[in-house]
Amino acid sequence: MDAPFPFGLPLPTAFYLTVYVVTLVLHVVFMNYVLAGTAALAAAYLRPGNRGTGESTAILKEWMPFMLSGAITAGVAPLLFLQILYKREYYTANLLLFNRWMAILPVLIFGFYALYLLKSRWLTRRTGCIAAAVAVVPILSVAFTGYSWTENHLLSVRSPAFWGEFYGTRAQVYHDPQLLPRLLVWAVGSVPTLVLVLAWQHWYRGTGRPASLARVAGTGLVLVTAATAWYYLATDDTTRQAFVSPLAAPYFAAACLGLLVQSVGWGWVSLSPALDGRKLLVPSLGLVLTVGGMTVCREAVRIAALGPERFESLFPGHAEAFGKGGLFVFLGFFAVNAALIVLVFWLVRHHSVTKPGPSHNPHGTPET
Amino acid sequence: MDAVLYPVNDFGPVMKGLAIGGLGIFHVFTAHFAIGGGMLLCYFQWLAMTGRSKSARAFLDGYFRYLVLISFVTGALTGVAMWFTSIQVSPVTIGLMIDEFHWLWAVEWTFFCLEVVAGYAAFKYGPQLTDRARLALLVLYSFAAWMSLFWINGILSFQLTPGAWLESRSLWDAFFNPTFLPSLFYRTVAALVVAALVAMVLINLAPTFTREEREELVHRAAWLMAPMALMPVLGVWFIAAMPPDSREWIMGGSIAMTIMLNIAIGASALVGGYALFGLIRKQLYINGATATVLCILAFAATAGGEFVREGVRKPYTLRELLYSNAVRPEQVAALREHGLTEIDPYPLRDEDKLPKLNGRPHPHLLTGALVFRQQCSVCHTTAGVNALPGLTRGWDAEMERQNFAKLQQLKPFMPPFAGTPAELESLVQFVEWWEKGRPDTWPDAAADPTEYADRLARIRRWLDEAGPHPALVRAARSDAKGGR
Repeated sequence: MDAPFPFGLPLPTAFYLTVYVVTLVLHVVFMNYVLAGTAALAAAYLRPGNRGTGESTAILKEWMPFMLSGAITAGVAPLLFLQILYKREYYTANLLLFNRWMAILPVLIFGFYALYLLKSRWLTRRTGCIAAAVAVVPILSVAFTGYSWTENHLLSVRSPAFWGEFYGTRAQVYHDPQLLPRLLVWAVGSVPTLVLVLAWQHWYRGTGRPASLARVAGTGLVLVTAATAWYYLATDDTTRQAFVSPLAAPYFAAACLGLLVQSVGWGWVSLSPALDGRKLLVPSLGLVLTVGGMTVCREAVRIAALGPERFESLFPGHAEAFGKGGLFVFLGFFAVNAALIVLVFWLVRHHSVTKPGPSHNPHGTPET
Repeated sequence: MDAVLYPVNDFGPVMKGLAIGGLGIFHVFTAHFAIGGGMLLCYFQWLAMTGRSKSARAFLDGYFRYLVLISFVTGALTGVAMWFTSIQVSPVTIGLMIDEFHWLWAVEWTFFCLEVVAGYAAFKYGPQLTDRARLALLVLYSFAAWMSLFWINGILSFQLTPGAWLESRSLWDAFFNPTFLPSLFYRTVAALVVAALVAMVLINLAPTFTREEREELVHRAAWLMAPMALMPVLGVWFIAAMPPDSREWIMGGSIAMTIMLNIAIGASALVGGYALFGLIRKQLYINGATATVLCILAFAATAGGEFVREGVRKPYTLRELLYSNAVRPEQVAALREHGLTEIDPYPLRDEDKLPKLNGRPHPHLLTGALVFRQQCSVCHTTAGVNALPGLTRGWDAEMERQNFAKLQQLKPFMPPFAGTPAELESLVQFVEWWEKGRPDTWPDAAADPTEYADRLARIRRWLDEAGPHPALVRAARSDAKGGR
């Protein structure tokens, strides 16, 4: 573990860690959109006199059920590889938290249906208080899920002796000094992702105000920097060392560079009167660097918390799983289904019988 | 003894199998609706675009809304819930399945992604698209949904019939196992039936259709139930592909499983009979109430079928690989020498409720409770469904000793006892203590060391007589010997 991730690790471990990180990044993008987006929706409905009628609110309302569905679906793949990588740790944390952990499922179902309710005509006929109450449900359910995952993760890296003690107490809530600062990094870190994806959605529709979007993204970037600093101060030496270890240091540097690139990119975007796709590529590149880098750092922190002996004891299990067949079948179907997903977008884009609306002119071509 | 022990949760009066079974039945029903619903949407889109049905187009959007609201939300999340519940009930089982099949689960995930994207695209943009494009999206959605069934079906059917995998350890032998095809076809037919029945409920609920339009739509939807004629053949095929001992359970060997199988057959026969003779042959109309009753019957058939599918694996969760209590068959002999309670890192939660002996929690009851937690609690409770003290009521302690030691001979769907004679004696003490209403004081089972040693020797002899193998393997070996 003296080389940058994933080098210096046995091939099976390096392989599963890589596919885990890559699929987790995909999940994080959806998750960030949902986390910050549901918060934005709740804020929009809670503001006096506002019934969620703004342009961005309309997009969020329209897309949020799909994005939550996407977050859940995208979460399946990293969950699968997590079980290969850290089976005992993950299962034990699940079992220790028991009902509290399982509660995320009905809670998410409530949140999901509340999102559909927000889109319904039924809600437009209700009072503002009822609409606000409905709008708060999704963020509460998503926040509860995020809290539970962080709690589960932190418990999973505790020692087996601690697990035994925890089990004996019958507790189903685990508190750790890192929990809140860590959760805050995730929460405020979701804002720049939301704003960027929202900016692309606006760009596609030919709507959106660059300066206002850049302002929100900038606020998110400042907040995530502050939250990271708090996390750094609140955490233990093992975690702090993990960020600058040979395993994670290049990725931590990439994540910091990504923050800088995002800041510069949003500054550039804000100068234009309308959203420009080429300019949006700059914060997009920055976001990829930050999310990718931080996801690797998260893994490095986990590995450091487990300690070398415990982490290395997992290698034989990874090697055994690596010997099972099916990888090439997966790669084949991955390629085919990715192509079919592209076909879906193509069909929607090119086989419409209704003319695009006046705002639907993403590439600046004249309307016909 | 090299073993990873997980913390075990107490589900109270609820048998763990009921928790996962109940959720599983609900999930399977919603998943079948999603799969069959996709096919029904393709059919109705084709009817609409070819001019065969004027009402089909109007029905499409309403039906699709229910499909999205039910299958994309509840269906998807109960799927994740199945995973989480499996971890709660048997982490070792799900861990072994993940190790063996993770790339096939990953393939299924790629189809989930296609299903979600194509489904939402068809739902959101379908009305704005050309008919051919909309049909293409629906076909993609339907194909992805069915392919997710294809992959998970191979993994689930492996649990009952690992087939040639036991020798070859080949992934494809595991996946294309003896019950793969009958199970896949059966579930496909079931999915079509559920989708058609839900359609009939919704057709009756829609206020905009006239009676003639409803009749036409109902009869169109009924054609999706025509493959039910194949169900008896598929059912017989599935039963024929099952291991012989599993077949015995449903043919009267286990009364609970025989009853559940009959519920599944009876409910399916009622639905199938109504569909084939009433709706298709006689062209009868079906109102909302009758359609709802048929939906409930289909749910009962699903429940019966899933109960049987789960139950016939006994005493295994993964046939010939892992017993229901997460003990591997090859571990039993070693566990009878060393036991597991000594190395269990998780304390007994209710230790303070046990009677004291010499100022400490009663050692035999403590060990017995740990044995119960490790070996029995996955299927039995202490005071709820399938409670062990209830099942042994009427047995005296000596009968319990002998019956627990020869458990697989007493009831062939039970795994062999996997602990030391001292652990078995402790389990007997624990069950007796429960049977007697958990008194505040309990005698020391080892008060007379000579008698206690004799007792353990008797238990050892019974354990040896029964052997460490499950009854079905012993039966197979006896047959082979007889044949020679």
